[in-house]
Amino acid sequence: MTSVAVQIATQASPSTLELRAYGVSKSYGATVALEHADIVLRAGEVHALLGENGAGKSTLVRILTGAIVPDQGDMQLHGKPYQPQNILEARSHQVATAFQELSLVPNLSVAQNLLLPKLEKSSLGLISARKVIAKGQEILSRHGLERIDAAAIVSDLPLAERQRIEIARSLENAGRVLILDEPTASLAETDWLFAQIRKAQARGVAVLYISHRLAEVREICTVATVLRNGRTIATVGLEEASDGDIFEMMVGHPVEKIRPDARAIDGTTQKRIVVENLCSDKVDNISFELREGEILGIAALEAQGQRELFRTLAGLQTRQSGTIKIDGKPAKFNSPRDALQFESGICFLPEERKTEGILAGLSAATNVVLPLLPRIARAGFIGRDAERNAARGAAGQVDMDERYLDFAIGDLSGGNQQKALMARTLATGVKTLLLFDPTRGVDVGTKESIYAAIGAFADQGGSVLFYSSELPEIVQLADRCMVLYNGRIFQEFVGRDISEQRLVAAMIGHHNATETVLETA
Amino acid sequence: MIDSDNAKTVESSFAQSGDGRASARVSRETISTVTVAILCVVMLLGARFISPSLGSWSQVETVLVLGSFLVVLSFGQGLVILTGGLDLSLPALITLGGILATNWIGVYDTGAWYLLPVALLICAGVGLISAIGIVWLKVPPFIMTLAMSIIVSSILLGYTKGTPRGASPDAALALMKGSVFGQPAVISFVILFVIIGWLFQSRSAIGRYLYAVGMNVDAARVAGVPVVLVQTLPYVISAVCAGLVGIMLVGYSNGATLRMGESYLLPSIAAVVIGGSSILGGSGSFLGTVGGAILLTTLGTIISAIGLEFGLRTIIEGTIVLVALLLLREEFFQKLGSLWR
Repeated sequence: MTSVAVQIATQASPSTLELRAYGVSKSYGATVALEHADIVLRAGEVHALLGENGAGKSTLVRILTGAIVPDQGDMQLHGKPYQPQNILEARSHQVATAFQELSLVPNLSVAQNLLLPKLEKSSLGLISARKVIAKGQEILSRHGLERIDAAAIVSDLPLAERQRIEIARSLENAGRVLILDEPTASLAETDWLFAQIRKAQARGVAVLYISHRLAEVREICTVATVLRNGRTIATVGLEEASDGDIFEMMVGHPVEKIRPDARAIDGTTQKRIVVENLCSDKVDNISFELREGEILGIAALEAQGQRELFRTLAGLQTRQSGTIKIDGKPAKFNSPRDALQFESGICFLPEERKTEGILAGLSAATNVVLPLLPRIARAGFIGRDAERNAARGAAGQVDMDERYLDFAIGDLSGGNQQKALMARTLATGVKTLLLFDPTRGVDVGTKESIYAAIGAFADQGGSVLFYSSELPEIVQLADRCMVLYNGRIFQEFVGRDISEQRLVAAMIGHHNATETVLETA
Repeated sequence: MIDSDNAKTVESSFAQSGDGRASARVSRETISTVTVAILCVVMLLGARFISPSLGSWSQVETVLVLGSFLVVLSFGQGLVILTGGLDLSLPALITLGGILATNWIGVYDTGAWYLLPVALLICAGVGLISAIGIVWLKVPPFIMTLAMSIIVSSILLGYTKGTPRGASPDAALALMKGSVFGQPAVISFVILFVIIGWLFQSRSAIGRYLYAVGMNVDAARVAGVPVVLVQTLPYVISAVCAGLVGIMLVGYSNGATLRMGESYLLPSIAAVVIGGSSILGGSGSFLGTVGGAILLTTLGTIISAIGLEFGLRTIIEGTIVLVALLLLREEFFQKLGSLWR
């Protein structure tokens, strides 16, 4: 595989035209997913694809990789017509993708996933487990993932590792064009990823990089193509374009930054949640307080116990020891349902929208009001428009268009799904929200709506505990921030002391780090 | 750089597409129901060409009376399938209902109508045991219900010593043989049952929970749905429905046999699948299932009127289940696709 890649690198001098798509479009019935997209990827160049949710980024990616066939448009690879009918055909042209919704088979081993569809055979023509694992381990080490066991079953691995494997597989198959669809959605740090991208770049691979995080894009990409409403708006050099320019191209109007004045949370407000010496799987003796009207952020690298902390507080995971007091009363719940009803209530917004959030076949309205169905039902029955009417108020709080309430939530864009889930937590009427990465994989507009909703909730005396994989979000939203490291609270920052540099230092386990040290870190 | 005209046209086409999505969803759900209803009518009318005695009103009446068993039975099966399970214990529970009605109530006092609910409660108890095994002990549904089926059948064999006796309770006879407004009483009963069943599945809070759990248990749990209760309930309801069918059957045929439920298992699943429900759970409606039950009964009546052998009938019924699954394959593969991811 590497020898092939090297060969190609020698053939293609930098800035050689690699993949060109012009006037590509795709509709699903009346739904126009992509109207007119143009993009030119050059060898050895990292090209960013930017746009809001529903702008058509994922559709364009699927077309380039052969997962779907466009209705119209012209594509060329190395000057030759390029019309892949499926992913394997694209792969035979050495165009490979790491998909946003991971495409690994969960019940197979890492090595099997890396090698599919061609598994190593033994001399008898049967699949050789030993050879498969050896080959898998070889691929892993080629991409800096020696620490992952090739024999491990994919579903046993944390999300971030699964994403790395997905990326490693695409690196392995991408001799000419590598497409990364939101590769950092579940990665808290980018060092490994960027090192791999630079390696591919040096081999002369054209890279298409999709991300909502502009800072990342600026770090790794040189050129960006902006999509809006299914059309290519512009292709710009990132050196020349400011963040403001890019946002404006993405949303069609300038974005105003909402930076709420940091609320002064003093000792006079009521303590809503008091956690003492909480121990659970991966949670090691955590104690903290959450007051009325307070937004408390959690910052951490991946898998530092934040997931387990949230799930324990939400009643999804049992605690081993320690106490959780809500409104002064020791909590004794062991399901999210009990948590919703205990005293002033706790509601959890889960991390994975598709697997734990939405109920895809039900309407958005039903999804919003599901926890309060007994309240809106009359004698156990639900009137024709009762759900819609009950969901309307909450939808308004997150800026969700009312007409979406009647649609099956699975048919909505990721941004609207997330708005609906956020609306659900608000509609429950609880006083404490546990938000786990509330803006993961959503566009700028949706983010602003969710921030505004969180702010408004806290202004009315609600308490919010949230984790975010995006530090600017914590800096913007949190009144106070705790950094988790290895299942413990490592450091705490209040108000103006919350800055990205300090958080990063604490996240990697640096105490008392000064800003100058951090610039280099 | 910002082409506002184009942006507008795209936005409007997005708005239209939004409406299209909703109507597509509605039609997908209703199409199967409507198709099934049309098929029933066409088949009944078409049957006239085979034999003039078919397709008459009395023929329709026969279909409705015979279909009542399957409608009641497949309501319970439909709820179980909706939550992602499968109930294979229905034949044994039909027999349990029938034997309790004759061997116990019929022998004691055929007028003791107040014992019928007790018989149904016993069936509910059996359903609850299945549910405990499935929901709490995580036994796969088909194994648990199959095991319960064998246990119940064996107990009944011992209880009756191989030969059921006793007469049908008066209430069961009144339901199946009596008439209301000049029509068989059971037709009014089934219409009432369908209305209540539809309200329960499509319009009640519990009904919504059933769909939620069938679609995605984890998401339902996070959303505060009482998952354990919602997973338990369908098995209990299904057992009660099967018991009720047993009582109806002894009212119809004046006595119980130990194999009276056997021929109903496949049709109960087929009715649900033909009615447009996904065998993997999370979708479908009771009205669709009712259509499926009527269609199967119509077909059965016509086939037996033509004089086909029982073996041939079963082959045709099995073929229909396969064809129904094939017709639903788009949705079937979508579900498989989401599991794959």
